[in-house]
Amino acid sequence: MIPDSGTTPRSLAHRSAGQDLVRIVQINEEIKSIVAVAFKINIMALNAIFLAKRAGSTALGFGVLSNELRVFSQDLKNAMGGLSGVIHKAVSDVSVLLQDQRMLRLLQEAEVRSGGNIRVREALRARYDRMEAHRANLALQRRQLQLVLGNVAQLVELGGVLAKSAKIEAAYGQAFSSSLSQVSGEFDGVVEEIRRSLGHLNKSEFFSSR
Amino acid sequence: MKATQCFFQDGEHKWLAIVRDPERPDALIDTNEYLVAYNGAGLLLDPGGAEVFPAVFSALSAEFDPAALAGLFASHQDPDIISSLALWLEFNPKLPCYVSWLWASFIPHFGGSAESFVSIPDEGMEINLNGLPLQAVPAHYLHSSGNFHLYDARARVLFSGDVGAALLPSKTDGLFVENFDAHIRHAEAFHRRWMGSNEAKRAWCERVSRLSIDMLCPQHGAIYQGPDVERFINWFDGLRVGVAVG
Ligand SMILES: [Fe+2]
Ligand SMILES: [Fe+2]
Repeated sequence: MIPDSGTTPRSLAHRSAGQDLVRIVQINEEIKSIVAVAFKINIMALNAIFLAKRAGSTALGFGVLSNELRVFSQDLKNAMGGLSGVIHKAVSDVSVLLQDQRMLRLLQEAEVRSGGNIRVREALRARYDRMEAHRANLALQRRQLQLVLGNVAQLVELGGVLAKSAKIEAAYGQAFSSSLSQVSGEFDGVVEEIRRSLGHLNKSEFFSSR
Repeated sequence: MKATQCFFQDGEHKWLAIVRDPERPDALIDTNEYLVAYNGAGLLLDPGGAEVFPAVFSALSAEFDPAALAGLFASHQDPDIISSLALWLEFNPKLPCYVSWLWASFIPHFGGSAESFVSIPDEGMEINLNGLPLQAVPAHYLHSSGNFHLYDARARVLFSGDVGAALLPSKTDGLFVENFDAHIRHAEAFHRRWMGSNEAKRAWCERVSRLSIDMLCPQHGAIYQGPDVERFINWFDGLRVGVAVG
C-alpha cells in the first residue's frame, strides 16, 4: 500500500490497480467465452431456419420463430462486437493506472525521504492529477461496460423467451417434432449459458464501489 | 493500439507476435513482443518497455489470458526489453523472469526481487513450457554481453532478440520480410554498430546454421521466413561488425 506522507492527498491509498487488472482480465476472459458461445448461436439459428423450411407447413409457428432467432443471433453478434471494444479499452485503461500507481509510489517515497522536497512534491501532485484524470476515465469505462453488459443481458432475456417459445412450437411439428425440439433445446441451453456468464460478470468486484 | 498476430499454430501450440503500435510516441523505438503458448500456458518473450506496457498488455489479453503466463523471457537487459517488469509483477508477483545470470542483479533496478529471476548460465538451458521444451541459445555480445535467443525445435522458430533487427520506415508494416535486399538495407547500420564482436557473431552463425529454422523472429522489424532465414545468416556472417566512427 502507498505510505501516506501527510503532504499528499489521502486518497492515494485507493484500491490497487494490480488487483483491478486481475479482475478486468477475468472479465475479459469471461467475455471472450461469451463471444465464442454467441458465435455458436449464429450457426444454430441457421440450422433452425433450414429445419423449419424442411418441415414446411407442419411447423409454421416454428418457422416464424426461427427467423426471429436468426435476427436475435445477428443482434447478439453486433452487441458482442461492441462489448469486445469496450472491454479492450477498459483493460488498457487499468494498465495505464497501474503505471501511474507505480510512479506515484516511487515519487512518494522520494518525497518522504527528501523531507518533503518542494520539487518532488510538485512532481508528485502533477502525477497525482494525471492519475486522477485516468481514474475518471476508467470510471467512465466502467459505467460504459456495465451499460453494454446490461443491454446484452436484456437481449439475452429476449433470446430466452424466443428459445422457450420455439420449444413449445416444436411440440406441434408432427414428424419433425423431435428434431425441432432438439434444435430449440440446444438454443435454450446456449442462451442459459450466456445468462449464467453475465450473472458472474455482474458480481465482479471490478464493478463494486470503492 | 498494438495488434496480435498468430504466425504459427499446431493445435494448442502457438506463436503470437504483438506488433506495430501506431499510437506509440515517436521517441520510442518500435518493438515486437512474442508469446509462445503451449497447452494453455504461455511464455512472453522480451515483454517490452514500461511505457508500452498498456499497449502490450491489452493486445495480449485480446488473444491470450495473461493469468496463464508461466514466465517472462528477457533476451538481455535493455530498457526496450524488460523495463516493464515491475508492472508485470504487479499483475502477477509470482511470474518468473528468465534472464542471463549476468543481469540478474541489474534488472531488479526495473523492479522485482531475487525470487523473480531464473538465471540462465552462459551455456544456455532448456526451459520447459508446460511440456514443450524450449532452448535458451547463447548469443553473447550480440549485442549484450549476457544475451540469449530462444529456440523452439518443434515449431522451428528462433526468437533472435536484437539480431535481425531492422529499423523500418513507418509505412512498412508487414509481419514478414517481403524483399530481402530492400529490407536488409534497414538492418545494416544497426548490426554494424550494435553488434560488438566479430568472433561472437561467427560463433552464433555457426551455432544457428545447425538448427532447423523456418522463422527467425527479431525484436524490431519483420520476421525472416523460409529461404530468407539462411540469407540473413549468410549476410550477417559476411558483415564486419563492432564499427563506430568517432
Ligand atoms: Fe538491445
Ligand atoms: Fe532492442
